[in-house]
Amino acid sequence: MDILQISQTALTVILGTIGLAIFGIIFGLFYKGVDRKLSAHMQGRIGPPIRQPFRDVRKLFVKENIVPENAISWIFHLAPLFGLVATISILLYLPIGGFNPLVISSGDLILILYLLILPSLAMVVGGFSSGSPYATVGAQREMATMIAYEFPLAIIIISMAWRLSMEGVRNVFALSSITSMPIWNFVGPLGFIGGIILLLALVLVTPAELSKIPFDSPEAETEIAGGLLTEYSGRNLAMFYLTDAVKTLVMASVIVALFFPYNLSPLFGLESYLAFAVDIIFYLVKVLLVVLFSVTLIRVAIARLKIDQIVYTYWVPITLLSLVGLIFLMWDQTFMVNFDIQPVFQMLGLA
Amino acid sequence: MLPFESLLKTLQTGSGFWNPLVWIVAIIVALLVVLIIRGFGKKDYKKGTSQTQAFLSGNPEYDKERMHIKGSNVYWGFSEILNWIINLLKKMHTGNVSDYVLWFVIIIAILFLSIIIPAGAI
Repeated sequence: MDILQISQTALTVILGTIGLAIFGIIFGLFYKGVDRKLSAHMQGRIGPPIRQPFRDVRKLFVKENIVPENAISWIFHLAPLFGLVATISILLYLPIGGFNPLVISSGDLILILYLLILPSLAMVVGGFSSGSPYATVGAQREMATMIAYEFPLAIIIISMAWRLSMEGVRNVFALSSITSMPIWNFVGPLGFIGGIILLLALVLVTPAELSKIPFDSPEAETEIAGGLLTEYSGRNLAMFYLTDAVKTLVMASVIVALFFPYNLSPLFGLESYLAFAVDIIFYLVKVLLVVLFSVTLIRVAIARLKIDQIVYTYWVPITLLSLVGLIFLMWDQTFMVNFDIQPVFQMLGLA
Repeated sequence: MLPFESLLKTLQTGSGFWNPLVWIVAIIVALLVVLIIRGFGKKDYKKGTSQTQAFLSGNPEYDKERMHIKGSNVYWGFSEILNWIINLLKKMHTGNVSDYVLWFVIIIAILFLSIIIPAGAI
């Protein structure tokens, strides 16, 4: 690697991170506003305007940044920063708006899985460092929730990668491989059902990743007064607020990349800037639909679960659901090879 | 000593890859962006006043030792919900060899149906 290449990569990473940070924060807050507006309408309320999350952040910035006397001050300050920074860094590895990931050859899906843990871990550390019983209970619950949903999430990712490996794909965990070969394009009827089951399982994992109802017991405002965020205020709370917004965009982008990586420009034969514009708008619409189904609809429809119910839900029904999805994919591959079954897309004339 | 070139290479595990240097550069840049955004917020608060006491819904604060959540409670959600599995496993340990063989046969049958046949071994 020569100096020119190194400086080119460094410049891409620096400018890309700045751009993606701004993009992630603005659109994360926008989707938060849309989510609040839609959920309000679903509950028969008018709800706040879509720009309300931007106002919330502005208001938090003029509030006092209180540090409790029991808190470990430097960890208390560092945790919200670390959470937001880690979440922004994930955006670099995700295909955004029809483009390939910014650092396509520098990280894969396994890395994204690990990076997704960091914001939750930052909240746990921040909660424990608060020195408040409510925050400690919240942090304890967040840890249990993390361990619970990681299990089905890992099964979903491994299932997708295994099916890709059966198609002879070399880097099965690379997002460029996954987006260039969407699972729906090559699976038979059983695999198609398996894919839908895995998608459903991932949609159910998303609210826990984002600490949304019914899996928001670590915060549980009406029960433990905000849990691990109880003692946070002012700009530190604003950092966690922004982390939540960016993470919503990240999780929705992961689902889009894994299951709906299609673009509109090839369908209409578009090129150049028009193609970019159409693909970016299409990507934003896909993210909106994912947020609507995996966050808004679920949190409006279901009441909060207790922490033991959360663990049970993820370790028993949702893990079994993902295993069933995996078994369907395995059976599908065997049937396709032994009985010469065509992929569903080919049967429907879509391939 | 490691040559400088090797530090710039992407780590390959066979099926996965990661370049830590790129990530470090990214988080340093992201940290600077976040610090600038955070800088717009108010820094100060009234130290030593009642606002710095832990929020306990108006309840009095006891000694630190009594307010602390014990380590044994950290995984409470798990221990509570997985009790039935532990009890089930305890029941399964009858000490009777024929019971163990039966479980062995059942598990082999499940693996056969779910993994061995789909994997195309038969």
